[in-house]
Parts: sequence; structure tokens; C-alpha cells
Amino acid sequence: MPGSETEMAGGGIIDRMWVRITRTLIDTGRPPHYAELARSLGVSPAESRTILHAVLQAYPIGWLHPETDYIASFPPLNGLPTQYRVTVRGEQKWFAQCGFEATSVTWLFPGERVRIAAACLDCGDPLTVEMLDGRLTWVDPPTVVGHLNYGFGPSRGRPPFL
Amino acid sequence: MNLFRSEEHARRWEQFRPESEEGFISLPELVGFFGTESRQHMLDADYLSRWYPARAAERREYLARIGKASPFWLGTPAPSA
Repeated sequence: MPGSETEMAGGGIIDRMWVRITRTLIDTGRPPHYAELARSLGVSPAESRTILHAVLQAYPIGWLHPETDYIASFPPLNGLPTQYRVTVRGEQKWFAQCGFEATSVTWLFPGERVRIAAACLDCGDPLTVEMLDGRLTWVDPPTVVGHLNYGFGPSRGRPPFL
Repeated sequence: MNLFRSEEHARRWEQFRPESEEGFISLPELVGFFGTESRQHMLDADYLSRWYPARAAERREYLARIGKASPFWLGTPAPSA
């Protein structure tokens, strides 16, 4: 029913679902299932699923786990654990999508120190980056650097290889 | 899109691609790249419809400012492609 999908995919409801997903990730560290979002959005589970797909069409830097409707990645946070562990208020319950998006997690936690800890892919030793309201407050070791292994073009359509 | 303890660590990574030598970005530049104005509005109710669409242009502008306006970073075809 393309007509009803178009109606459901109107800007307001898509924005509202984006906010719900992000808020759930912030509050719990995990993405919600579309069926869990249905009631709060005032739609049926089936409509919620359609809206979820519309959200990811509008926000293609996130993705579902292949062959499912499970939210795997919703940057800057991730549903699937990554090596980029995020700690806020001493609690580590979040994961960043990647090392680059990890630096924008700070904008989800205004006024809070956000610590990103990861094991280096080369040696396994730890690296730590701490931020507060978009500013770097601690980097260990000071030589921490970002690296893009595939250009942005070639990596498109292959999210797991970002 | 990873963080490494240093450039040397990245180059030693077993999956490092030699053609990604231009893929390094300093941490302060990365913070700017992923902290452009639109990204600072992720808690806004209209982030997806109002702010996210502005992100790509902001990032292109930022990459140009830090000298990374290359096909590799911009995601555009290389001249030889």
C-alpha cells in the first residue's frame, strides 16, 4: 500500500522515530525494536516497521543487521558492540559506531565527560579519548590518530567495512 | 574509520591498505570533522529532517578547510576513474 506508507513516512513521524531510537540508545545503551516503538508513536507494529525503514532511508549512515529488522548501527552509537566503548558518569554501556563517530558521541551527552576507550587494532594496547561538550579533555597516548582505510566513496554500500 | 595509538600503529595493522596513506587525520581535526554544526543538534526534535541533510555540505566544506578535498575523502570518483 504505497499510499499509506507515504503518509506514514511524513516528516513528523520519521523525526519522532529517529528521536525515540536515539533517546533509547542514550538511556539504555541498546537500540529498540520497532514493535517497542509502535505504541509510543501511536501506530501499529507493522506501521512502525515501515517507518523504521523510512528512517534508515533518510539516515543511511545507520543500518539494520542484514536480513532482519534489528537496528545494528545508529550513529554515532551502535547496537552491535564495537571496540569503541563509551563511558559516561562512570558507566560503560554504550558503543560507538566507529572511531570517527566516537568523537561525536559527546553531542549526545551535554555537560558530561564522555570517555572513549578502545583496543588498538595493531597491538591491542588501550587508547583513550575523553571529551566534554565537543572539546578534547584527555588523550592517551597523545599520538592517537584517526585513519580511514577505504575512501568514503569505495566504502559506501559496505557499512561493515567502514 | 578507526582510531590508532599512532600512525605507525595504523601502518602496522594487518589490514592497512597502502592506498589509504592519505587516510590519516589528526584527532583535533577529526573532532572538528565530526562536530560540524549539524552534529551538534542531534538532540533536537527535528534533527533528521532539518539538520542531517546539511551534514554532507558541512563536511565537504570542513574537509576543504583542512586540505583534504580529495576524492578519497570526498567520496567522489578519482580523476582517473
